[in-house]
Amino acid sequence: MRPRALTTFAALAGASVLTLAGCSGGPANAPAADVTAEAEFSGTLSILTKFAGDPLSPYFEDLAAEYERLHPGVKIELIQETDQSVKDKTKTLTASDALPDIYFTWTGNWAENFVRGGRAADLSKVIGPDTPWGRTFSKASLSAFAYDGRYYGIPLYNNGKFMGYNKAAFAKAGVKVPATFEELLSSCPTLRKAGYEPVAFGNKDGWPALHYLQQLFAYTVPEATLQADFRPGTAKLDHPGYVTALKQFKTLVDTCTDTGDGTNGVLYTSAQEAFSRGKAAMYYQEVLEFDNATAGRGLSPDDFGIFPLPVPEGAGGNPKAIEGAPEGYLVNARSPRAALAVDFMKFVTGSKNAEKLSSPPYGQPSTVIGAVTPKTSSKAVFEGIEMVNRAPQLASWLDMVTVPEVADAWLAGGEAVISGDTAPEKVLESVRQASASAK
Amino acid sequence: MRTIFRRAPFQRALGLAWVIPALALVGVFVYLPLVQNFGFSTLKWDIYSGSQEYVGLENYRKLIGDPVFWSSFGNNLLYAVVSIAFQVFGALLLAALVESIRSERWRRGLRAVYFIPSAISLTVAGLLFYFVYEPNLGLLNHALDAVGLGRFGQSWLGQGDTAMLAIIAMSQWQGFGYSTLLFAVAIQRIPSEIYGAAAIDGTGPIRRFVHVTVPLVREMTGLMMMVTISGAFQVFNEVMVMTGGGPDNSTQVLGTWLYRSGFVRNNFGYAAAIATVLFVITLGVAMAQLWVTRRRRVEW
Repeated sequence: MRPRALTTFAALAGASVLTLAGCSGGPANAPAADVTAEAEFSGTLSILTKFAGDPLSPYFEDLAAEYERLHPGVKIELIQETDQSVKDKTKTLTASDALPDIYFTWTGNWAENFVRGGRAADLSKVIGPDTPWGRTFSKASLSAFAYDGRYYGIPLYNNGKFMGYNKAAFAKAGVKVPATFEELLSSCPTLRKAGYEPVAFGNKDGWPALHYLQQLFAYTVPEATLQADFRPGTAKLDHPGYVTALKQFKTLVDTCTDTGDGTNGVLYTSAQEAFSRGKAAMYYQEVLEFDNATAGRGLSPDDFGIFPLPVPEGAGGNPKAIEGAPEGYLVNARSPRAALAVDFMKFVTGSKNAEKLSSPPYGQPSTVIGAVTPKTSSKAVFEGIEMVNRAPQLASWLDMVTVPEVADAWLAGGEAVISGDTAPEKVLESVRQASASAK
Repeated sequence: MRTIFRRAPFQRALGLAWVIPALALVGVFVYLPLVQNFGFSTLKWDIYSGSQEYVGLENYRKLIGDPVFWSSFGNNLLYAVVSIAFQVFGALLLAALVESIRSERWRRGLRAVYFIPSAISLTVAGLLFYFVYEPNLGLLNHALDAVGLGRFGQSWLGQGDTAMLAIIAMSQWQGFGYSTLLFAVAIQRIPSEIYGAAAIDGTGPIRRFVHVTVPLVREMTGLMMMVTISGAFQVFNEVMVMTGGGPDNSTQVLGTWLYRSGFVRNNFGYAAAIATVLFVITLGVAMAQLWVTRRRRVEW
């Protein structure tokens, strides 16, 4: 390189480093949000939701319109994303330091990252369990967003994972609701003979397998071990229950799905549709999906039943654990309209709107006490949430509870187990390596 | 003469002033991000706290030991090899066949037929082929069933050993017509007298193709090879739509592994290191393209 070109390059690189330093300000550049201040009803309040598409998108649209009508000086800017796209959107906005005033969050490591990074406002003074607003929520849902004794999240709805089944299909095949995992496996050939795909399952996106795995892990691995293994600093991932659960999962896929080792090529929505059209007898689903499953013509609400994934015999974990967690919202720690954001979320979680959220067609069981009743919600949603509330242990989603590198290793491992390319022991080894690398 | 000497520096300065805005735009939007990306690749960047820790070449060291990086690189190479076979040599052969048809109407019609898939966006084509390959409802398995080959039906995108080939096959379907059209244009530029002379010499169609067409479209062939290789290393959309890199990372390419490392695994420094490697590869191919097109110019 000629001396002149070298100088130019060095100048360019230097300028770039300076630019980098300037861009890397992070969340510390703006003053901290004051969530206890008197709300000023003016300006634009931005909110990132996970409610894009039918039937959920009108929920926030209607609330925004209503709030704007009540407060003419306020404009609500809605950014609605889907379950998949909200992940990328949130990370992009975080990296560019452009998070909206209010944004969607899962529990576990997902929310913890925002808290640790100083991007989530501490809401303890307004939503702590002893505050008037906090008392309207179930304590467990508030605790799901608590870190080091501080409360950061506004839980909007609760969620849990259950095996949905077609009662008519079970009756036609002469199959009873299985009491054990082994009974579930043995019911599959009978259901297939009766003309049904026993369990509809699509794992193109990878995470549906993690839902099965996390529930099986909760059954086969003691909770304390699980909690230690979620954190790379304390993880050992050497409990034999992991391999047992991976093998049980593989057996379920091979025995009960029609696609078997090709399940990775099926969309989870295709599986959902096969169940709701009455082609499949069972589909493992979230409470949030219940009303959608019975919205078509194939499966009536009366024919729709649920049961927790049956516990394998001799499992060494907690047989009463249910996989699930609330989902909610965080307030941007640097939002200049934090008080207004809190006021808007109080409006969203008011009893009238909480009941509306819990009712069909939304069917998102609110975390607000008294919002989910047999009158406001469908029978299945009510039953599911009752079981979630009674569960002594809630196992949070595997792709959210641990650090992303480990979650991604589990995701690839789940796919490998399904396709039969990798032995469960090797999958666990790859997760161990990812955990060690994430320390 | 004195006036000219005095005006020359002024005119040079004026000329420079005219190009400064364009240079500034290119610098800010093209070259600065490239340098910035290299800067990012030397950092451990926590997007949540905004903290950036300088780690030197650690991300590059990690990259060398990352099996998914190498399998992604292998998939890009496979993509390039198959694309050269189909979109360069296959397309050249097809273009020669189409151009040898006497009827102008048929020639035009066939060119349009082959070109239509290229008018579809890759994302749409990817989605379309996702449903073609779907194991339960997909057209391909149903077609195999219909001709008595149902035993070969499978979950094309759900198995590690078929998923990458299935994606590449879709990509060939989508890009084949475009290459064919470009070769057809190159063949049309060959003077008919040369073919006439070859015919008088008694050469058959195969020899005419080998000894006349192939050498005289070599400029286009070289260009298409470089464009195809470069394109093979920039693959992203079709993989994201059809498999997202799965199952078990078997269809990851460098572009999707970069995306996954940054946006899923929160490792933006590592993602920037992959981006730098990708840039070096495509830059190398672009340089080779410039060199080839400069040296292999055909004139008549």
